[in-house]
Amino acid sequence: MTLRRCIALTRAGITESLQFRLGTAVTLFGNLIYLVLVYFLWKSIYASSGVEVVNGMSFTDTMIYLILATALFNFLEMFIVWDMSRSIQSGKIILDLLKPMKYKRYMFWSYSGSHVVLFLLSFLPTFVVVMIVTHGAIPMGLNLLYFVISTVLALIVNFNIEMSVATICLYTESTWGINIVKETIVLLLSGASIPLAFFPETFRKIVQFLPFRAVYDIPLTVLLRKNGSDTPRGLLTLLGLQLGWAVVLTILSTLFWNHSVKKITVNGG
Amino acid sequence: MSDQIIVMNNVCKDFKVLNRHEGLKGSIRDLFSRDYKVVSAVKDVSLSINRGEIIGYLGPNGAGKSTTIKMMTGVLEPTSGEIIVNGTVPYKDRTRNCENIGVVFGQRSQLWWSLPLVESFKLLRDIYLVDKKDYDDMMELYRSLVDIEPILNKPVRQMSLGQRTLSDILAAFLHNPATVFLDEPTIGLDVSMKAKIRELILGLNKEKKTTVILTTHDMGDVDALCKRVVIIDKGEKIYDNDISHLKSYFGSYRTLRLKLADDTWEEMVIDESKTDIMEIITKKQKEQRIKDIELQDISTEEVIKKIYEGGAA
Repeated sequence: MTLRRCIALTRAGITESLQFRLGTAVTLFGNLIYLVLVYFLWKSIYASSGVEVVNGMSFTDTMIYLILATALFNFLEMFIVWDMSRSIQSGKIILDLLKPMKYKRYMFWSYSGSHVVLFLLSFLPTFVVVMIVTHGAIPMGLNLLYFVISTVLALIVNFNIEMSVATICLYTESTWGINIVKETIVLLLSGASIPLAFFPETFRKIVQFLPFRAVYDIPLTVLLRKNGSDTPRGLLTLLGLQLGWAVVLTILSTLFWNHSVKKITVNGG
Repeated sequence: MSDQIIVMNNVCKDFKVLNRHEGLKGSIRDLFSRDYKVVSAVKDVSLSINRGEIIGYLGPNGAGKSTTIKMMTGVLEPTSGEIIVNGTVPYKDRTRNCENIGVVFGQRSQLWWSLPLVESFKLLRDIYLVDKKDYDDMMELYRSLVDIEPILNKPVRQMSLGQRTLSDILAAFLHNPATVFLDEPTIGLDVSMKAKIRELILGLNKEKKTTVILTTHDMGDVDALCKRVVIIDKGEKIYDNDISHLKSYFGSYRTLRLKLADDTWEEMVIDESKTDIMEIITKKQKEQRIKDIELQDISTEEVIKKIYEGGAA
């Protein structure tokens, strides 16, 4: 019966985010500017290096990776930390806590609708454009299916990172700094702003096993059939790593939340 | 007993609050301070509420009303004492308790801001797993009590405060909960909207036998809705009885107004249990001619004011 709740929340989320057409359009425009910047930045990096292929990636590879990473970022980005701290300050959180669902589950499904909308309005168009412009640089086959699975896992990992950070904010009662730190760490270590291939060797080896990579790098690697993800073994390792982190982080953030929620005192009245 | 829906036994709630110091130096010191003081928000409150009652839960600001309600809903865990709401211990099984309660906080809305009201209703229907038939029946009942058609398709953000409050109350009753908590439901509303809301609450309580716990600062709400009143001050329960007894709480007070020879009204509050009204009138009449006499019952508001101001001792 919980399925009925999940579907209802997702549906409401879709309807709700469709109300903000202008916001979506502005986001897309902002991305365009960001991508122009990325294009020229990496063009000059490649020009100054003097070689065609840097760290096993050509300029086109890097661009495809970064464009798709941006698109994926738009689609996976969550504002739980902001939303939660705002609803704690206003005291509105009590109304969410008084829903007959576990708060974390309630939050997850409240957000799922906007992810569906963003996937269709933001990720898919970008994906199609990249596909057409690069003439088949993105392999078409089963990797698309694996990519979808990998993205769902990425979503779960990202959600739990967000929830944990939001829970930390329960204690600090300030949000801004912590959120910036989180954003920077996730964007850097997940490969969303610089492909992991460009990291120094030792650093990359460490980052490989951290959960952040499961958010952007692994779905893109699977999609582009890089790093041995075209072999069953390589693919399973990557998806297994994601699944592992998804499970571990879900458990950890749930425990952390359950422990912390007892301590919150909602001001008001 | 099965008709007791909420039972609280000797419930206490303490908060640990950091002792803040003044000024910049103090703020820096606070960063490392372990200097907590314990504040008791609720002290040894026992209460039992029957199914179908409308209870006025009153008290001055900061008396511990919200804390009590949060404990009843399961958001806060009592420091000591026992609470049972509809057979469950709220803080241990919050999710299950929530299926059986509804809440309205006058200053916040649980409705989805950008969606039309009917979408919020449908969403709540699915979240609370309400049968289609029960939902339809409930909507039918709503239609018979208030004129909801004009607001049903209106997004909540475009509603007036009155419409929004009305919608929030309907939303809280939608899953036919056993208990509904109304926290200042008429705050900021105009006189006619207040009357409408009160009528709606009464109607729903009568039709569905819903227990209503009402916190308010508007004595009009109390007079219109509650038979029983519980008053809490500084965390302690100081009154728990019928509203009719409330007026004799400080003895039987009445206001005597006399129109004197120079057409001015003289007003005095008289405790009938101590002073004889006739005696005062006779005495006054000896001094000068009385043109008119009025005798009024003291208002609930005035009694409550006296209690809040510390007359309780």
